[in-house]
Amino acid sequence: MQDNQQQAYDRGITIFSPDGRLYQVEYAREAVERGSATVGVRTPSGVVLAADRRARSPLIERDSIEKIHAVDDHIAVASAGHVADARQLVDFARRQAQLDQLRYDEAIGVETLTKRVTDHIQQYTQTGGARPFGVALLVAGIEDGEPRLFETDPSGTPYEWQAVAIGGGRDEMQSFLEEEYQAEMDLSGGVDLALEALSVDADVDAAGVNVVTVDVESGTVDTLSDDEVGAHVEELDLGGEE
Amino acid sequence: MRDPTLDAHEPELGSLPEQKGDRDEATVNKTGTTTVGLTTADGVVVGTDRRASLGGRFVSNKNVVKVEQIHPTAVLTLVGSVGGAQSFIRTLRSEASLYESRRGKPMSTNALATLAGNFARGGPFLAINPILGGVDDEGSHVYSIDPAGGVMEDEYTVTGSGMQLAYGVLEGQHDPEMSIEEARTLAAQAINAPTERDTGSGNGLALATVTDDDVEIETFDTVDDVL
Repeated sequence: MQDNQQQAYDRGITIFSPDGRLYQVEYAREAVERGSATVGVRTPSGVVLAADRRARSPLIERDSIEKIHAVDDHIAVASAGHVADARQLVDFARRQAQLDQLRYDEAIGVETLTKRVTDHIQQYTQTGGARPFGVALLVAGIEDGEPRLFETDPSGTPYEWQAVAIGGGRDEMQSFLEEEYQAEMDLSGGVDLALEALSVDADVDAAGVNVVTVDVESGTVDTLSDDEVGAHVEELDLGGEE
Repeated sequence: MRDPTLDAHEPELGSLPEQKGDRDEATVNKTGTTTVGLTTADGVVVGTDRRASLGGRFVSNKNVVKVEQIHPTAVLTLVGSVGGAQSFIRTLRSEASLYESRRGKPMSTNALATLAGNFARGGPFLAINPILGGVDDEGSHVYSIDPAGGVMEDEYTVTGSGMQLAYGVLEGQHDPEMSIEEARTLAAQAINAPTERDTGSGNGLALATVTDDDVEIETFDTVDDVL
């Protein structure tokens, strides 16, 4: 009986259950939980994004696993959940960033971009015939010389964070970040913290993570090479096997 | 689900006016006009005459205020077709307001000038050639915007039918380090010359003073009232 009742309310995303829940949106959050984890850390000198991209086979080309994307010169987006859904949102974000450049001759703000994306996500929780995005994003960037870090979730709600984890194992990682986060870290310290947070769930090795920083000083998105990530992993002794 | 904001040349609210064939030039109110914009270290002074005319041959209004506030610290002048310019000002004002309420900070003068250029290019606001004057974090700015969407910044600029006469007064006289008071006097003199000699300009003047926190617009019957 309970099952039947629940089924009736998860048929369409536009239908509330009697206790005010949108089951399809909650299922979309489950899809995010099933994705591999992504961590974001904000420091005074920039923002760090670190994503787990463990390969399911040694034969796969690692670079084809897309978890972190440059959206504009000064903004990067990392995802957890359905990669195909993330690609759609990333392209939407890229177009919005260029639109502001065309319209106002200025680089889009991180908060403005995040809210454009979340407004877009929200439409898919209220429109018949569509399904919600099964992905959460971390939006990292520099705005007016300040580092900013935002999260989007499948309901279309924006959140701003000092440090955050999304995807599988996020609860443990978030607890770790809450204990270890310090407001006055440098960018390298931010990379260390992000990698340590990822390692809470499983061993981390250099090839299995993707690390991107957005630097306050240069205002640009930089991807760390495998060697650079490897140096951090080795120093932290995170127990990865190369 | 097409996103209506995905067009840099369209306003978010409303739409650009449609071109409806050839309009009878003789019956469209034109500002004729002389408008000047001067930058100083402390702010911007924008001056205009107060005449509206039909093709520069008949004075259709003697009390026009051809400079309007469009932003907390920016003004735009009406030059060319009155209807086109008024519609242009309303559109820009609502866009600037939306931008600020969404982002919690006002548009920079450069962003406003870029948007104005996009609209001038994207929609037939008829022939308009306004000056945008504004103050932001970067300082004082004046831009002239042409009917095809050209946007040019300068230390001082003039548009309208009396522009040669006004430039004659300004050349060699403008100094970016001058005080606002000195700039007001110079702007008034620059409007006064075409008031005397250009049939499209006249009937007194209006002066807008833009500082980093305020816009003030005043009208005067003669240049002597300013000096």
